[in-house]
Formats: sequence, C-alpha cells, structure tokens
Amino acid sequence: MITRLVTSFLFASLLAGQQAPESASREAIQHLQTGVELEKRGDLDNAIKEFSDATRISPNYEMGFLNLGDAYMKKGEYGKAIAPLNKAAELNPDSPTTQRLLGFALLSQGYAANAIPHLERVREYGALGIAQMESGKYSEAVASLQAALAKTPNDPDLLYYLARASEGLSSQSMDSLLSAFPGSARAHQAMAQHYFSTKDTAKAEQEYEQAIRMRSDLPGVRLELGEVYASVSDWPKAEQLFRQETQIQPGSAEAAFRLGDALMKQGKMKEAVSELLRSDELHPDMPETLYDLGKSALNLQPPEAERALLRVTELEKETLLASQAYQALSVLHRKQGKTELASKELQEFQRIQSLLQNNLAKSN
Amino acid sequence: MRARVLLSCLGVSALITAGSTVGTDPVFRVYTPKGLDFVLQNSPTMKKYLIETMPGGVALLDYNRDGLLDIFLVNGGRVPSSNGKLDFFSRHEPSYWNRLYRQNPDGSFTDVTEKAGLSKAGDTNYGMGVAVGDYDNDGYPDLYVTNYGRNILYHNNGDGTFTDVTEKAGVAAGGWSVSAGFFDYDNDGKLDLFVVRYLDWSMQKNKTCGTQMPTYCPPGEFPPVSNLLFHNRGDGTFEDVSVKSGIAVKKGHGLGVAFADFDGDGFADVFVANDAIEQYLFHNNGDGTFREVALDSGAALTVDGKKLSGMGVAFQDYDNDGKPDLVVTQLPHEPYGVFHNDGQGVFSEQGLEAGLGLLSGNVSGWGVGLEDFNNDGWKDLFIIQGHVFDNVEKYDSTIKYLEPPLLALNHDGRFERANAGTDEAVAGRGAAFGDLNNDGWMDVVATRLQGAPLVFMNRGGKAHWLGIVLEGTKSNRDGYGARVEVNGQVRFATAAGSYLSSSDPRLHFGLGAATTALIDIRWPSGIRQKVAADKVDQYLVIKEKSAP
Repeated sequence: MITRLVTSFLFASLLAGQQAPESASREAIQHLQTGVELEKRGDLDNAIKEFSDATRISPNYEMGFLNLGDAYMKKGEYGKAIAPLNKAAELNPDSPTTQRLLGFALLSQGYAANAIPHLERVREYGALGIAQMESGKYSEAVASLQAALAKTPNDPDLLYYLARASEGLSSQSMDSLLSAFPGSARAHQAMAQHYFSTKDTAKAEQEYEQAIRMRSDLPGVRLELGEVYASVSDWPKAEQLFRQETQIQPGSAEAAFRLGDALMKQGKMKEAVSELLRSDELHPDMPETLYDLGKSALNLQPPEAERALLRVTELEKETLLASQAYQALSVLHRKQGKTELASKELQEFQRIQSLLQNNLAKSN
Repeated sequence: MRARVLLSCLGVSALITAGSTVGTDPVFRVYTPKGLDFVLQNSPTMKKYLIETMPGGVALLDYNRDGLLDIFLVNGGRVPSSNGKLDFFSRHEPSYWNRLYRQNPDGSFTDVTEKAGLSKAGDTNYGMGVAVGDYDNDGYPDLYVTNYGRNILYHNNGDGTFTDVTEKAGVAAGGWSVSAGFFDYDNDGKLDLFVVRYLDWSMQKNKTCGTQMPTYCPPGEFPPVSNLLFHNRGDGTFEDVSVKSGIAVKKGHGLGVAFADFDGDGFADVFVANDAIEQYLFHNNGDGTFREVALDSGAALTVDGKKLSGMGVAFQDYDNDGKPDLVVTQLPHEPYGVFHNDGQGVFSEQGLEAGLGLLSGNVSGWGVGLEDFNNDGWKDLFIIQGHVFDNVEKYDSTIKYLEPPLLALNHDGRFERANAGTDEAVAGRGAAFGDLNNDGWMDVVATRLQGAPLVFMNRGGKAHWLGIVLEGTKSNRDGYGARVEVNGQVRFATAAGSYLSSSDPRLHFGLGAATTALIDIRWPSGIRQKVAADKVDQYLVIKEKSAP
C-alpha cells in the first residue's frame, strides 16, 4: 500500500520548463536538465549521477536535491531518497511536493513517527493514517483514514488499514479499561469477549456471569453470553439469556432477532414467528431476520413465510442468503402444489449457489 | 447484522452438555451379554486410510428359526502396516472374521461362526455391512455381506450352515460397498438386492488430509461411484440391472440405504444417504426403471439448501400420518435431517420442528432407527454416535470423537431426549433394532470401533404391543415392502435402513392402552388383507391370502 501511494505521487519531470534559481550555477542547471532528460528516457542511474553533480556544484540547489530524491524513489531506493529530500525540505520547507515525497520515503522505511509532520503538512490522509497507526496513534489514524476514504470510497487498501486501526483503537481502549478499572463489570465483559474469541467458552461464561452479577442492568452482556450458549447449541440457555436481554432492551431488534432464532432452533416456531415479527417491526428489512421469519413460518403461516422470503430475495442479490431464500420458497411452493414456480425457485437457488462456488474457486 | 454471522461462526469449547436426562428412568439396560465376545477391528493407522473409520454392520436375524434373534457382526480387517508392505487387507486371523452368534434360551450367545461356515471372511476384503433377506423364499434368511473388495452372498441351508453362493449368484460387485438391502422392486415375489457404494478409493489412491496433523480426507477428495441394483431371476442368480434401471445414472458418495413406498403407488422406492452431496431418492417407476427425484421432491437438501453428510437413514412414519418420513444422520454443525413426507410425493425438511435442533448439531450420527421403544404408539428415535476423526478434538474442541448414544422419545411427532441407560461415549457405527427376548419391547444392538457391541435391552413397561410376522405367498416370503397399518400406525416392512445394518424383520407396534388391534396390510403383490386381533401382546404370523 505504501509503495502504491508513493508511486502514484512521483512526478515524471519535476523541473521541466522551470527558470534557473539564483542559488544554482549555470553548470548545475545544465546537469539538472540533462538528468531530467535521462529520467524521461528511463535512464535513472545516469539521471541520478547528473542530479548528484548538480547538488555537488550548487549545494543549496533545492530542485537538485528534490529531483535526486525523486529519482531514488522512482528507482525504489527509498532509503537513499531521504537525505536529499531532507535537504530539499530544509532549503524550502513550504514545498508540498518535497513534504509529500519525504513523508512517503520516511514511512516506507519504517520511520512512521518522523513521517507524520510531513504528511500532515500536505494533508496526505491515507499515508498519514497509516503512519499514525504504525505509531500507535489509533484514534488519529481512524480519523485520517476516514478522511482519505471520503475522497476515495471503497479503496480496499484504505479499508484494510481502517479496519486495523479500529481494531488497534478497540484493543487500546480495552487495555485502558482493564488497567484503570480491573474489577469493573465492563472489564469482566471485555475479558469474556477475549475468552470467547479464543474459544475458551468456560472462562467466557464465568466472566459474563460475573459482569451480570456486578451490574444486572448492563445492556448487551446477556446478548453476548447467549451467543456463547448458542455457539455450543445450548438453545434453552441461549433463549433464557436473549429473553432477559429483550426485557432490558425492549427496543433492540438484535435482541428480538436472537431470541427468535433461539426459539426457532428449538422448534418453537409459533413463538419464534412472533419474536421475529417484532424484530422486523423494530428494524425493518434486515435480511437475516426476514429469512429466519420465513423459515419459522414455513409450516405455520405460509403467507407470512412467503412475504418474508420474497423480501429477502428483493434485498439480497446473488448472495448465500438469497439462494437459501429461493430454496425455502421452493419448499413452500412445492408443498402448495405450485410445481412450476417451485422449480424456477430451485433453479435460481442452484444458479446462485453455482455462482458463489465459482467465485470461491476463483478467489482460492 | 453481518456481525451476527461472524459471531455465530466463532468456534468454542464445549462447556455445556447438550442435554440432560438425569432423573428420568432409563429405557434400556445396557450390557454385553455372555458369549458375545466380538470386538470390531478397524485397525487404525497413522496413514489414516479412510476405510479404517467406516465399519461395521450388525444384523439381527433368526437364522435357525428357533424363535430367538441371533446376531451377525461384520468385522473390518487388518490394514497393512504403515510402511505399506501389504497392498491388500488380511482377514486370515480369526480376530478379523465376521461372527455369527446364536442366541441361547437364557439370553446368552454362542459363537457359531465356524460351524455355520462363515469363518472365511474373504482375504483381501475389508468388511463393511450386512443385508438379510430370504432371496430364494425357502423360509430361511440369507446373508449378504458388503466389503471393500468382493461382497459375499451366503445362502442359508436351513440346517444351521451357510454356503457362499456369490459366484453363482453374480453379486460380488467390487469397489467399496457399504450399506445394502433386499427389497422387491418389481413386485415379482422375489427379493432383489440394492448395494450402496461409497467412493472410488484404494489404498494406493488414499489421501491424507489435515494441515497440522494427519486425518481422514472428506469424501469430496475422491471420485463418486454409482450404486448397484441386482434383479433376482428366481433361479439363484441375479442380473446386474444398475444401468438398465437408471440407478447407475447417478454417481454419489452413498453410505446408507432404506426402502419405502413414499408416494403410495405400490412400488418400493429407494433412498440413499449420501455423504456431503445431495441425498438421492430413486422413485420406482413401476416398469423396472427408477428416476432420481430428491431435489424435485425436497428430500435432497436441508431447508437452508445445505448438503447433509448423510450416513444412516430411517424411512418410516414418525408422525403417524401414514406416510413414510426420512431421518438422516450426519456430521456436526447441522442438526440431523428430518424430511417430513407432506404427501403428493413432496418432502419438507423439518428437523427443527421435530426437535432435532435440541438433540443434534454438535454430534455425529451413524446407525439410526425409528422404533416405538415405550410402546405408546409413537415411533421413537435411536442414534448411535461418534465422530469420523479419532483426533477431531485437536481440530475442533466443540466436537468429540466418542459420543454417547441418543435416545429421543416421540411426543406427538416431536422428539425429546430420554435416558438411554448409558452415558458411555463410544465411536458408534452400526445399529440394528429388534426384540431380542421376545417380550414385545424393542431392543437395540449397536457396534463401536475397537470395542464389543452394545446391547440395549429394553426394560419394558405396562403398555400393550403387537408383533407381526409377515409370510408372503404371492409376495416375497419376508413380506418386504408391505405397508402394514395397525390401529392407525403404519410401518413399511423392511430389514434395511440404519447404517450398514439389518434389523429384525418382524413388525413391531406399540399399542398404548389398546387391547385389540385392527391390522390392514397392503402386500407388494397388491393384495389387501385386513385382520382383527382380539388379543395383543403377542407375535402374530400373518400369511398372505391367495386372492385380492
């Protein structure tokens, strides 16, 4: 990513058509112009030699140092670019080109903290966010990367670094919480999350229970503990926890969905339908809620099932959930004797499944 | 809400047992009867040959017609040592033989393998399963043993001995055969033979999977193979009609097989439990051909469109609506499959509705039966369990290699966990169902890798029951394929089903408080026969009447 950012900002010819400054001798300028010509032809080695001659003849020749640093960067020798770019920045601190290139050069060599002031000056938010993240300044990194993404949305590299920075910020916040308030309910919840992520469910369960004992009204803890039970298919306990969460957070669509799902897994379809309908009302058009609703209502309330599953197919295109909704619809319609429709839905299920498998094979 | 998916995907260690039956009365007394000294030798190696984890079957049959069920157990075989010097399986040592145990009047068993002529298990073979049926209608049950290698048909001579008639019969098959079953697909009164084959495998073609440590490869690593159908010519020989009948059209990774007439057209259909691909339902067209209809009929995939790792299968009516349903056992992470027969040739997967979401999900099932263990008039569920990989815990701490058996009693079509009489975790495989002591309460015999078979002897109770022994005249002698209705309950006569195993061919009905029974039989010949039983708690022999 850093290399990509750097190369995108390298200039084909920094000095083309520029007038001779007072700080440079005619001979130095001649070397510089020769270097630029060589660089245009792709002869970076000789260009570097010419730029070096220019800076030797005129030691305060800013453009000479800038072009020398630029040539090194084009050659991929970022470490060698730092010294001439530093000199160029010293001679002209207001040059955005110099600041940008120096920031990139420093970042590419692991000097993230040193790169930050240069990148800040030119508001080069993508690279700045990376430098801040590498320096442990997660909060600033998240802000910078979000600013960069505002300019180039959906950039996969920026999204990747944003995810990493957010993760770092989360971890940093957790560390602060645990060191400042080690016995707090939130600290136990954080520990439980850690244990759950490392598959140690017994300890996760203990920590969640402790958090609940300390603050019985804490929102979200029962939801998370319920997920622990759900992960080992202990649906009765999961149901109990999700039900408690819906009492603490009656407006939570997530809690209602979880409860509905746990009820469905136990075959309590009537109750599941009721809870999933409630979740759908609280937060309409959530595909997973609608899919569970469709499944739960399949044999009990076919019209409701049909409505929910069709809505999934409207919301989801060529996804696993969409294919599953088509499969469930084919089951429903086959049972209703609508054979032709069921066959079409089955074909659509197979088409999407095949597409997903092909995509998976390609990505592997 | 994508985070939901991520959260639910996080694997976790098993902190909670899936269910408890503490405090409820055990249905079975679980033990190994005196004389039943068999040990299932699967010969596990570091090479992780796929075949090591797959045996073995068990059959309950009354081979000597003394009125007591006997037990036939299929053994694995000796796998070559890990340096691969041998390129075939050895069955030479007696510890690798299949075994026939005759039941004595006191409930003990006597090994009669050699006396019965069954000691030659077939060198180079590796044993898998067993099917039982009276293919020559002489009144004595014959044995068909499946193997990796050459299968063997043993004709029951009626004098306590058997003769290997494989060559003459033409049913040696080949490759890797697993479950098999006798049924009469053309209703000509002679039992035909269906043989399920797993995949295209040999020791030379074996692959070992696993990145951190070696383990058995999934079936998708090996090419699929077709199943076999042998038509009984009636002269002691069979014709391979696999291609002609359309059965061979569909290649798969079959493990289990069961028969029932799912659409009520009078012809027995075939369900093949496939491992990690779509399940197959071969509809019998009634003209000697079959059409595979699982996907179109809704019996191929779960309601979520997922493929089952099908192992064993039961094809009986669990909700007493008169139509045969399907229960398919499989590997963890999804509940066992329950395909409810909705009528009109349509199934819908209703595992959650039937309560299987609470009973499975983190367990692996093999042999399976739908039998009325408490005689209340509802068929209950028994599944012998245990994972495929003997080192699965190292891959996934939520799953166990050894698992206790599952017993679930049926309450109006919904299964609820019950006390099976043991919590002993085993690597269960085959399971056969029958009334070992003729007390009217169904028992179970299950196999486990590297261990003695488990006998689940039903403790009984007060409810009434009726046992029916069919004796076909125009139909096949065993009456396989008959639809028998007793006081509104329906059973489809068969010994096939489960995994690699063959069950008591007698039909068992729990009657609850009823002291009389109305029996309605539709024989494979088409003959309809109604019988009123004024007395219950007995085994009733019903001979097929001669005219419709």
